[in-house]
Amino acid sequence: MVRRTVFPCALLLAGALLTACAGAPEAESTQAAPSEAFPVTLTNCGHEVVVDTAPERVITLNQGATEVVLALGLDDRLAGTAYLDDAVSQRWADAYAAVPVLAEEYPTHEAILEARPDLVYASYASAFDREVAGDRPALADLGAASYLSPFGCAEEDQRPEPTFDAVWQELTDVATLLGTPERASALIDEQKRTLAEVQESAPGTGLKVLWFDSGDKTPLVGGGTGGPQLILDAVGAENIFGSIERGWGEGSWEDVIAADPDVIVLADASWSTAAEKRTFLEKDPVLQNLSAVKQGALVTVAYSEATPGVRMVDGVTSVADQITALGLTR
Amino acid sequence: MVAPVRRAVGWGLLVAGAALVVMISAAVALAAGSVDVALDRVVAVVLRRCGFGGADVTVLEDQLIWQLRMPRVLGALAVGAVLAVCGAVLQALTRNDLADPFLLGVSSGASVGAVTVIVLGAGTVGLAAHTLLPIAAFIGALVALATVLLIASLGGGTTALSPHRTILAGVAVAHLCGAYTSIVTLMRGEGDAARRVLSWTLGSLAGLRWDSAAFLLFVAAIALAWSLAYAQRLDAFTFGETSARSLGIPVTATRWSLMIGTALVTAASVAFAGVIGFVGLVVPHLVRPVVGHRHRAVLPAAALAGGVLLLWADTAARSIVPRQEVPIGALTALIGVPALVWLLARRSRA
Repeated sequence: MVRRTVFPCALLLAGALLTACAGAPEAESTQAAPSEAFPVTLTNCGHEVVVDTAPERVITLNQGATEVVLALGLDDRLAGTAYLDDAVSQRWADAYAAVPVLAEEYPTHEAILEARPDLVYASYASAFDREVAGDRPALADLGAASYLSPFGCAEEDQRPEPTFDAVWQELTDVATLLGTPERASALIDEQKRTLAEVQESAPGTGLKVLWFDSGDKTPLVGGGTGGPQLILDAVGAENIFGSIERGWGEGSWEDVIAADPDVIVLADASWSTAAEKRTFLEKDPVLQNLSAVKQGALVTVAYSEATPGVRMVDGVTSVADQITALGLTR
Repeated sequence: MVAPVRRAVGWGLLVAGAALVVMISAAVALAAGSVDVALDRVVAVVLRRCGFGGADVTVLEDQLIWQLRMPRVLGALAVGAVLAVCGAVLQALTRNDLADPFLLGVSSGASVGAVTVIVLGAGTVGLAAHTLLPIAAFIGALVALATVLLIASLGGGTTALSPHRTILAGVAVAHLCGAYTSIVTLMRGEGDAARRVLSWTLGSLAGLRWDSAAFLLFVAAIALAWSLAYAQRLDAFTFGETSARSLGIPVTATRWSLMIGTALVTAASVAFAGVIGFVGLVVPHLVRPVVGHRHRAVLPAAALAGGVLLLWADTAARSIVPRQEVPIGALTALIGVPALVWLLARRSRA
């Protein structure tokens, strides 16, 4: 008997609760004085981004995005960041230390809402998954604009060719969204100067290079279209796996031995350190006979300096300096 | 007097035929690779290393053929032989057609060790991942084996280590290990850790060098000799344990020693080659219709067929897609499943 009366009552109660529920409260609209630069509208990965006033509470997800904002000197606008691949470049370490880190990897959706962002900027499309920042139209409804690094567009045909120009376009986009396009042009000019200097001296001319990213049984190597190739082009060196039509791809030790590179670049990432790869090459009974290994012509580059982004120019100067220091006779 | 002579000649022909198959397979495998080397250069390199001429062999050719490809070829032959022999032994011992070398949790235990190194990192112990990986996998396999044997022999008595208890214990431990590997990979994996775990789980003979290949050959030789010593007892087991016991065979002792023995050699091969499925399951079924059911014939035949099958699978794995390796565990299943289906169809018709 009891059960029979409980059920209708529960149903009634539930119904009453449902009808009593109101809709979500209106999002607070910040009525800051609109400057002449705003509103800014741009298309990013097929999504229309509209920013009415300069964002003051920016959340950056993934290291690349975080470093772009730091490089523009706009760390005071950051309301939170999350998800580093390795470490933020030394030159921005102080600024970064002052920014709240929401989570070690992706923060939960609630943690992002709690930070009340007006712009969410990420490097990878996964940042806009439902359990992370939420999809971009939904964010726009909440009053937060969003920007995704063009290299991370979900649709492959929306991604630009990895070039320095594409990197600089992203810098310009972000700086424009934040209302400070002049900071981007200053940074880009500086990077262009640095790049031109390296291209001028071209310390890698005539050298065959293996870009060893990770792997031991088969090497994952830098291919012909991506950060490694851009860096090797800038220093004037030849990539022995330049024929692989991807940024990174599987190489083969046979091809490495046949090519016998003059220099080997070791990518340094937290999941595959340069030291680990150096030991591997020096210990392997066959690979230790490569000329580059015997002569110690091993060069180290941080992984985040070899992915298309604001630090790639640092990757160029680093490789150039190390190759120069090797003093190889060509 | 005539019959033994004829039999000896028959055996001689068989052995010569087997050697020929192995040599031709090896030569083809040695010539395959991302750098083209002609077959006659392959022969020249091998002959020079064996002390016959070949003064015109270049350093590059020697490095490619003798130092990179040869260990891999020998490793494939050894691992294939170990897996097939262990499969044959365990199928007889448990009287279960589905028994394979990973029955006792060796593969899942090895995965636990491998995942621990791949995901949680090796730097803590001060050894590079590629040295630590086989050691960790081997230790993981031993721990899993001990757990399975413990569960299977709980309560003691004659049911200790009985086939169905052992299989259940193996399944239980495999699931436990699976839980660990998924949790660690998904929750702690960084970068391409998940990909590396998956590729380890599907097995690979890439990266074998002479030291590990020599060790694997040694393991294969032990596995074959050890199991051949038990050939007659295994024959008795195929008629059931009661008849084996009535023939005066120490059933429990045999079970213990063969189960531990096969698990140890399997663990050694898994440590270097990862988990290569299906060879141990299918090859014994493939050779029995050809050589009969006497283990004195089944075991060497399985070793040969398993080795050659894995050699071809490995050669295919590294040549089908240019510059990329197809996981060999996937290939052995692709070859093995149709073979098994064909076998089942044929058997049901008979």
